[in-house]
Amino acid sequence: MTMLPRFRRLFRIDRGAVDVPVAVADELQFHFDMTIDELLAAGKSREEATREAHRRFGDLEQTRLGLQHIGRVRVTRERRAQWWSGMSQDLRYALRGLRLSPGFTIGVMLTLGLGIGANATMFSIIDPLLFRAPSHLAHPDLVNRVHLATQYQGKEFFRANYSYRTFLDLSRDTHSFADFVGYWPRNLAVGDGTETQERRVTGVSASFWQLFPVRPELGRLFSAQEDKVPFGENVIVVSWPYWQSQLGGRRDVLGQHLHIGKLDYTIIGVAPRDLIGLELTHPMGFVPLTSMATNSFEDRGAGRRYYDSYSMNWLQLVAERKPGVSVAAATADLQQAMIRSLEQKSALQPGSDPIASLKPRAMLSPIQFEAGPNRSTATKVGTWLVGVALLVLVIACANVGNLLLARALRRRREIALRLALGVTRGRLLAQLLTESLLLATLGAGFGLLLASWGGSVVRHTLTPDAEAGGVFSDPRMLAFAALTMLVAALLCGVAPAVMVLRADLAGALKSGSREGGYHRSRLRVGLLVVQGALSVVLLVGAALFVSSLRQVRAQPLGYDADKVTYVEQNLRGTALTDDQRYLLLDRLVQRAQELPGVVAASRTTSVPFYMDWGEPLFVPGIDSVSKRGDFVLQAVTGGYFRTMGTRIVQGRALSDADRAGTEMVMVVSQSMARALWPGENPIGKCVKIAADTLPCRGVVGVAEDIKRGSLSDDPGLMYYVPILQYPVGAFGIFVRTSAPATETADGIRRALQAEMPGNAYLTAQPLADLIAPEMRSWELGATMFTVFGGLALLVASIGLYSVIAYTVAQRRQELGVRVALGASVRSVLQLVVGDAMRMMAIAVALGIAGALLAARWVAPLLFHTSPRDPLILGGVAAALLLVGLAASFAPAWRAAHIDPATALRSE
Amino acid sequence: MADLDLLQGTLDLIILKALIWGPSHGYAVARWVADTTGDDLQVEEGALYTALHRMEKRGWIAAEWGLSENNRKAKYYQLTSTGRNQLHTKTEMWNRYARAVGRVLQTS
Repeated sequence: MTMLPRFRRLFRIDRGAVDVPVAVADELQFHFDMTIDELLAAGKSREEATREAHRRFGDLEQTRLGLQHIGRVRVTRERRAQWWSGMSQDLRYALRGLRLSPGFTIGVMLTLGLGIGANATMFSIIDPLLFRAPSHLAHPDLVNRVHLATQYQGKEFFRANYSYRTFLDLSRDTHSFADFVGYWPRNLAVGDGTETQERRVTGVSASFWQLFPVRPELGRLFSAQEDKVPFGENVIVVSWPYWQSQLGGRRDVLGQHLHIGKLDYTIIGVAPRDLIGLELTHPMGFVPLTSMATNSFEDRGAGRRYYDSYSMNWLQLVAERKPGVSVAAATADLQQAMIRSLEQKSALQPGSDPIASLKPRAMLSPIQFEAGPNRSTATKVGTWLVGVALLVLVIACANVGNLLLARALRRRREIALRLALGVTRGRLLAQLLTESLLLATLGAGFGLLLASWGGSVVRHTLTPDAEAGGVFSDPRMLAFAALTMLVAALLCGVAPAVMVLRADLAGALKSGSREGGYHRSRLRVGLLVVQGALSVVLLVGAALFVSSLRQVRAQPLGYDADKVTYVEQNLRGTALTDDQRYLLLDRLVQRAQELPGVVAASRTTSVPFYMDWGEPLFVPGIDSVSKRGDFVLQAVTGGYFRTMGTRIVQGRALSDADRAGTEMVMVVSQSMARALWPGENPIGKCVKIAADTLPCRGVVGVAEDIKRGSLSDDPGLMYYVPILQYPVGAFGIFVRTSAPATETADGIRRALQAEMPGNAYLTAQPLADLIAPEMRSWELGATMFTVFGGLALLVASIGLYSVIAYTVAQRRQELGVRVALGASVRSVLQLVVGDAMRMMAIAVALGIAGALLAARWVAPLLFHTSPRDPLILGGVAAALLLVGLAASFAPAWRAAHIDPATALRSE
Repeated sequence: MADLDLLQGTLDLIILKALIWGPSHGYAVARWVADTTGDDLQVEEGALYTALHRMEKRGWIAAEWGLSENNRKAKYYQLTSTGRNQLHTKTEMWNRYARAVGRVLQTS
């Protein structure tokens, strides 16, 4: 046995492409050659030798295969071990680097955390609205909402509510669907006495349980037999949160009774914890749809009962296609059934618009309501904010990339040396990426913390109705955060990676660590300009939304929303005649006026942003009044104008002296006066309500316009009549207090509740609460754009500062020479600050261009604000330049005061 | 004497022992085994190679390609420190086992 001339370890020889079969063949070949040589030497013939060698060896093929298998396993294992050791080496290296510069690490972590946190926050809001299918849905891919598009006056409208009869028609006349579900969420009074509270109860057809094939937590679900026309069984499957919070999570609740609406329900089951149904939040429970109908509608005789009427549109429809049926095929099927149903409807209601003119189009839209045709402004703004959050992330990444690049530049010599010593570029890249990945991971952790806090704040403003899940327990959220983290790591790592790939070995090795870096910072300047430009875009967005919000708030409403409370009566099955209801309301008005802190009270028919009452109008000399707009009736008692704070601009207000029997009077709004009698004095004009044959009603006053249906372009066509002369709409009263309504509303409700007979109860809402949702999208846009824009500006200015400071450090020697040669403080300041301002100027120009480009798409979301407002654009530009000045001043100051002796000696 | 079936692990022990004098290729190991055991143990060379590769996978021995006595490329095996430890414990175990079995057979 001789020592070998030289050893080379196997995996060193042909690392990367170890050919196991060849190695095995070589080894065995060697063995056979040696054996045969030995036998030949012993005097055997070649034939005998070969046979003997094979005999000694045994089954050659079997062994060969065995060896190949073992070899392959070993090679894979070695590679994996090698990869891991490389990985852990990189990781240790990166960790050591980060520990050595804690300031940098924390800065990057915060920057990336803000970027990732912003995105995680927006994702947690948008996901349930647009992407996530409701939990427990058996076949999410097969389930759609049913929308009906119709044309009216050249515009297309999308309907999502249908009559029970349409529901039956569609279920019967289609063949593409495995399941048709009708549902109706509704707020009903739940409980008795002081415990009574309005809660959302969802009526669902029994087919709902096919769509959501769940096993109840307790008890059972209801069947089609219990959801029968006309009267369903009064049974309820309560939701898990209600069971936990209101029923103590006890297991003996089955069979207990609950007073819901005007009916008595028996609890038959508890739904599983995460069964929410087709909306965004848990209802208090699920009841049969037909029982919900009984609870909600009176029997008004043939053709007007819920199950044979086409005009009561209260249901939302969801359909599950049969497996294998395409959306297109199912839509075609649905379309013909829908047309058939519409034909039936017009046969029953002669005189309705011809079907052809409506151009009806049945649609199968996504199960997420907000992803369908009727998405809310909040969702639209939310979608914009997703884009904004992405910009913030890009800015954060540009900044971190810049910092990493600075680090890499500082290590140029080290990197060049390592390359020269034979480290592959791939290995170096892996190391750089490990570092940025580690930073991104830290950032993502911080970002998730931010999202779990910020998410609840934003969600509260954007979608107060949506149910919040935990950020850390939601796998989709975590997956999204991980994805964002990877993207961020790649984005941040790109710049330093480019530098490593293009590294010029000889140059870097020859030069000092300082020189060269300066010339190479073009990439850094580019990143900085991008950051600046994006900040400009975001700040312009912020300014536009803030301005919109200001405009919205400054809108004259025509009433004092802050001081007025709307008190509504709910009879809950207590039988009262119309006259009794009117008397009850009068008593409430009287009682309210006696309460301390109450200024005035009045009965009302229409409530702004809540409900409108309309009657046909007839005016002598005008052919068709309805062609001039939608006129809204407001029948009130004498204190109305004082209660609301609506000013009378001409003539007189209504008073309690305007009674049945006295002269018939009315007050019109300014815009109604303009619409009906342009250029004329409206006082004394004649208007007839409901029928042309009725006597004239004289206009005695003109009131200022009010906003009732839209804050932006409300025509404000209102007319006011004394309720004693036109008794309609016995729903509620307005109460004006001297203190803000938010503080007084509940006290008023309590005080007045004493007047209510039987099960009847009151609800009280500050008028401002009814208007709040109208403002929400602008509020949200203003807040979020400002927050994100501020973040972006902060990050960008830190970036600017660090780049300038770095550049100054790079040019220390050069600047030192200048100072030594007599350059004044002023000229050095100019030199450095001028550099920064040039960068900022380019950034501002690009940013303004971007903002103008985006203007077309933001415009519809704004309110009385032009997206090209020169004041806003100019202001933002000035702000950014100022920030640039501030960020570059400190390093410039330092540069101007360099001690030339030190600077020159230090190289 | 009839062929002895090799007890589980015995072949490993023999190979480890064969490598104790330094790196060696498979053919040399086979020769050594055949020479040392004479005709008492009939070891199929195929099984021997399988054992070599298995122990390489386990990290008891390391393999390297080198040049043989007659200047040919050959795969050389040598003990690793794990392999050396294995050899010690296995030898110990084998001796105890053999003594025990021997005692049992003598008492009859």
